[in-house]
Amino acid sequence: MTEFYDRYSAALYGVINRIVKAEDETEDVLQEALVKIWHAIESYDASKGRLFTWVVNISRNLAIDKIRSRQHRVSSRTQGLDDSLTAQRQAAPDTFRPEHLGLQEITKQLVPEQRQVIDLLYFGGFTQSEAAEELNLPLGTVKTRARTALKVLAKLMR
Amino acid sequence: MENYQEIIESGRLEQYALGELDPAAQAEVEALARRYPEVRQELDDLLAGLGVYAQAHALTPPAGMRERVLGRVLADIKQTGAPVAAAPVAPTAEVPTMRVSASNPHVASTAAPVAAPAVRRNGWAIAASVALLLSLLGNAILYTNWQKTSNELTVALNEQTRFANATQVMERRLGSTQEQLHILRSPNEYKMVALAGTPAHPTAQARVLYNKVSHRVYLDVAQLPPLPAGKQYQLWALDQGKPVDAGVLTAATTAGEDMQQMKDIASAQAFAMTVEPTGGSAGPTLNTMTVIGNI
Repeated sequence: MTEFYDRYSAALYGVINRIVKAEDETEDVLQEALVKIWHAIESYDASKGRLFTWVVNISRNLAIDKIRSRQHRVSSRTQGLDDSLTAQRQAAPDTFRPEHLGLQEITKQLVPEQRQVIDLLYFGGFTQSEAAEELNLPLGTVKTRARTALKVLAKLMR
Repeated sequence: MENYQEIIESGRLEQYALGELDPAAQAEVEALARRYPEVRQELDDLLAGLGVYAQAHALTPPAGMRERVLGRVLADIKQTGAPVAAAPVAPTAEVPTMRVSASNPHVASTAAPVAAPAVRRNGWAIAASVALLLSLLGNAILYTNWQKTSNELTVALNEQTRFANATQVMERRLGSTQEQLHILRSPNEYKMVALAGTPAHPTAQARVLYNKVSHRVYLDVAQLPPLPAGKQYQLWALDQGKPVDAGVLTAATTAGEDMQQMKDIASAQAFAMTVEPTGGSAGPTLNTMTVIGNI
């Protein structure tokens, strides 16, 4: 378990933090996720995808459940988005971290509109129709952007 | 029946990757992925792409969190009394690692503590490979274009050389034509000497154009009997009864196709032509005299 923690905690912490925003809640969700992964590892099916994808999805789903269980759902969401944008802007110049180079490189591949959509879908826990409503865009546009963004990301892996 | 292209285009794979589908739809996508390798590939790409995205957001957890979280997780595991948890933690922790090595050799090949960055490095290695491939492809296209252009340039240069040669030929012809015209139109400069056939060759006929000042001699053949093999006509100037070599006639001149400039002659009263061995002789073979004419 310690080995597993050392290997995946940074990635999981990053994803959960992007979703729930608050640091103490991130810690709670991470702990919850690790326990869940521990018990569910028997059900992990290697033929369905990489272990990394699987553990990230478990953490992501728990984090999304967390924000959905909040009473002030909509307001916190809008708030959260703004926070996350400013947080990103500030984080970059303050602390130079090699792992953020990867993020910058990747986000350079995505136009801001694509990134906004994919962030809402992936980190915001929004469905495509909810994202369309939130961004005041036609559903078709959201779908196209999500699809294009995923293609761009997929190309990075090819 | 849907084909795999339609499935990929349908957008369902993206929804699957983003976790938007209900379990039934998920199972459907998984079934399709099992049936079509192309769908599997596309889905893997999308999931891996999102993996990169997730990995890119990695944050180092705050100090002290490791012990706190690990402690509580381990306590939780022991408490729920999972059968494996009764055993010491370290050996059972091997389980995910072994699964990784079975399904994902490239992850397992790196040392455990650096595995998370290794996954990202791997992603960038693949991205770099893609960039390299694209660059190679671009180079191939550029090379093909360059070769094509180079070939076209060679063709154009050849064409240009051909035209230049043709122009030179035309200029030479024009020059000689103008010269001949000048000679023929300047009766004061060039004296025309008609050479008539001797009794042996009554139909033979030629003329010499002679410039006494510049000493130039031109020969213009009207008609000459055909030559035996190995023979050539030779022109002679007769000065004070003495024959002076004025040069041999080219085939073109003999056939009457062209006017020929002969050797310069300082002084002459008559011109005559004889048949000589190819290359000419030092002195005329008088019994082969074909034409003769006085100035």
